[in-house]
Amino acid sequence: MSAAHTVIELAGRKITVDLPHLAFATAIAAWSTWFCWDSWHASPDIENLILIVPGTVAAVILYGFVAAGCFRLANGARTQEMSPREPLVAGLGVKIAGSMALLAAFAFAGPLIGFDVASFVYMLAMMAFLGERRITVLLLVSLVFCVAVIYSFNVFLATPLPLFFFSGYAS
Amino acid sequence: MIDLSALVAALHLLGNSWQPWLIVIPGILIGLIVHAVPGLTTSMALAICLPLIPYMDFLQALIFMTAMYAGAVYGVTLPAILLNVPGSASAVGTTFDGFPMARAGKHNEALGLALAASCFGQAVAYSLLLVLAGPIGAFALKLGPPEMLVLSIWGLTLIGSLRGRHLSRGLLAGVFGLLLGTVGLSARGAARGTFGADLLLDGIPLVPAIVGLFAAAELFNLVGRDYIVEDLTQRRVQAHRILAGAREAFRHPGVLLRGALLGSGVGIVPGGHAIANLLSYSQARRAAKDPEKFGTGDPRGILAAESANASSEGGSMATLLALGIPTGGATAVMLVAFSMHNITGGPSFMRDHTDIVYAVILSSLAQVLVLGVIGFAFTFVAGLVVKVRLRMLVPIILALAVIGSFELAHNIAGPLTLAAFAVIGWIMQKFDYPVSAAVIGLLLGRRTEGDMLRTFQMSGGHFDFVLSRPIAMAMLFLLVGSMLLPYLRLARTRVAEPERIIQ
Repeated sequence: MSAAHTVIELAGRKITVDLPHLAFATAIAAWSTWFCWDSWHASPDIENLILIVPGTVAAVILYGFVAAGCFRLANGARTQEMSPREPLVAGLGVKIAGSMALLAAFAFAGPLIGFDVASFVYMLAMMAFLGERRITVLLLVSLVFCVAVIYSFNVFLATPLPLFFFSGYAS
Repeated sequence: MIDLSALVAALHLLGNSWQPWLIVIPGILIGLIVHAVPGLTTSMALAICLPLIPYMDFLQALIFMTAMYAGAVYGVTLPAILLNVPGSASAVGTTFDGFPMARAGKHNEALGLALAASCFGQAVAYSLLLVLAGPIGAFALKLGPPEMLVLSIWGLTLIGSLRGRHLSRGLLAGVFGLLLGTVGLSARGAARGTFGADLLLDGIPLVPAIVGLFAAAELFNLVGRDYIVEDLTQRRVQAHRILAGAREAFRHPGVLLRGALLGSGVGIVPGGHAIANLLSYSQARRAAKDPEKFGTGDPRGILAAESANASSEGGSMATLLALGIPTGGATAVMLVAFSMHNITGGPSFMRDHTDIVYAVILSSLAQVLVLGVIGFAFTFVAGLVVKVRLRMLVPIILALAVIGSFELAHNIAGPLTLAAFAVIGWIMQKFDYPVSAAVIGLLLGRRTEGDMLRTFQMSGGHFDFVLSRPIAMAMLFLLVGSMLLPYLRLARTRVAEPERIIQ
């Protein structure tokens, strides 16, 4: 049993609950149910729901099995079977969360402010965040990536990238 | 089946001038380089070069495009093995065992295996095409929605094989992916699960979602490390180990041949190129005596996926040449090249230009050798990626993937999909859900729904309709048989075990 599991008391019995996993599985089941409802709302024809309804039913049934597996009697013989997740190494969680946030910011900002500026800033920030401290490496790699990739993409590909410089969408 | 006079004419066309051969090496190189960048596709590589087509004669143009196609088919495996980033759906199966091998410091061998399987698959497919181009085209015409549905179901059964340690989580991940794959406009024009956003009307952009799911799970986990391969002694890129990997491939001739034949067959149907690698992987796993080794860095996994992926190219070309029908983005762009020369593909093309068809097939067979040499050199360079520090490599790969996803979706939906699925993929991995099962569902969701719908409409809701489709029935029997095979083998082993103990 890992530290992520919570012990609750129910009817005088101690029960171990894997709350983070339960929340994730519930999110999948909730989205699936909402998706089915939304599809039904859009059109109740069989042509529209031929795969979605059986898929959702399967998702809800499977969720039942997964959710049941998130509850175990504390100190029971099967408690050890609960997903023994390895705790993240100290500091790694922050690095992963930071990397995710930077990626999301880049994905959002690139098309809006232009990929030239956004990719330069993203490369610089991400490398620094992951531990690169040499200023010349930070600037040089970011600049070379930015110029080489953006130029190649815009020259060779059919959809020009949005750019901040050179008047927005280059052709 | 071979028109000998046309074959001689084809040899004359190819041997009379060095000009058609001039563009083979650049073609293969462009294909390799473009597809080694996550997010860029074969059709993109071909489309980039379309402006050059009018300046070439028709045969030269076709050879150039098939060379690019051949290079791209192998190029896509490089990021799949080295970074767990499948640049397209056709490389998903390669990641299952390719990346575990790379993580274990066997990147040289994994790349050698993939190169050999790729060359072998293409050689088998084009040899078949040379002999059976006409019959293959005629067979492709007989495959309708019910047969496509069986193929899709066949692909979906892979979810069961990839369930990981927990069956319910694996299946839930697969069903989740399947539902995600149906987001967007339905055949009836109803918008489903789009949150009112026009960007999602075409559905969730597939490649950005796949790259996000796969790349995230691994790249985010790698941020705390220095290199992909931690052991300095294992980090070397060594030609003799790449060659050893290539030699190892031929120790599993059954896996290679089965993959190549399956890929050639599946490649002839629209969209078959994308699922050939998955079907072959699934079959190889089921047929293996030790299926539990698959997914942990088993060479047979790479061979099965890669030989099928490469041979599906030949299948796609069969449909393009014999029927004039594109089976995917790449062959659709090739059809544009046909029209640039005022030529229409199809039965009349096969009849009137048999010599050109044979010349293309023969040159493709020769390209296999060129790919072997150039691919080896390129592999050597690409393998150096394991020497790059991850604090530099991770931002470069993620930035390329984001920019590539914008190019694919043509709007912000691509990058946002990639970022969102990156997070989902990482969480799934943390809770021990097989990301690959979700990817299979995502890949096959819309396709399965379309095939189900068309089959339903054809049958009028009568299930006995399938009895009137002999090919679909045969495929169903094969599917059921292949699913039962591991259990029959297990039962046989259990029967044999007590005898061994007694002895």
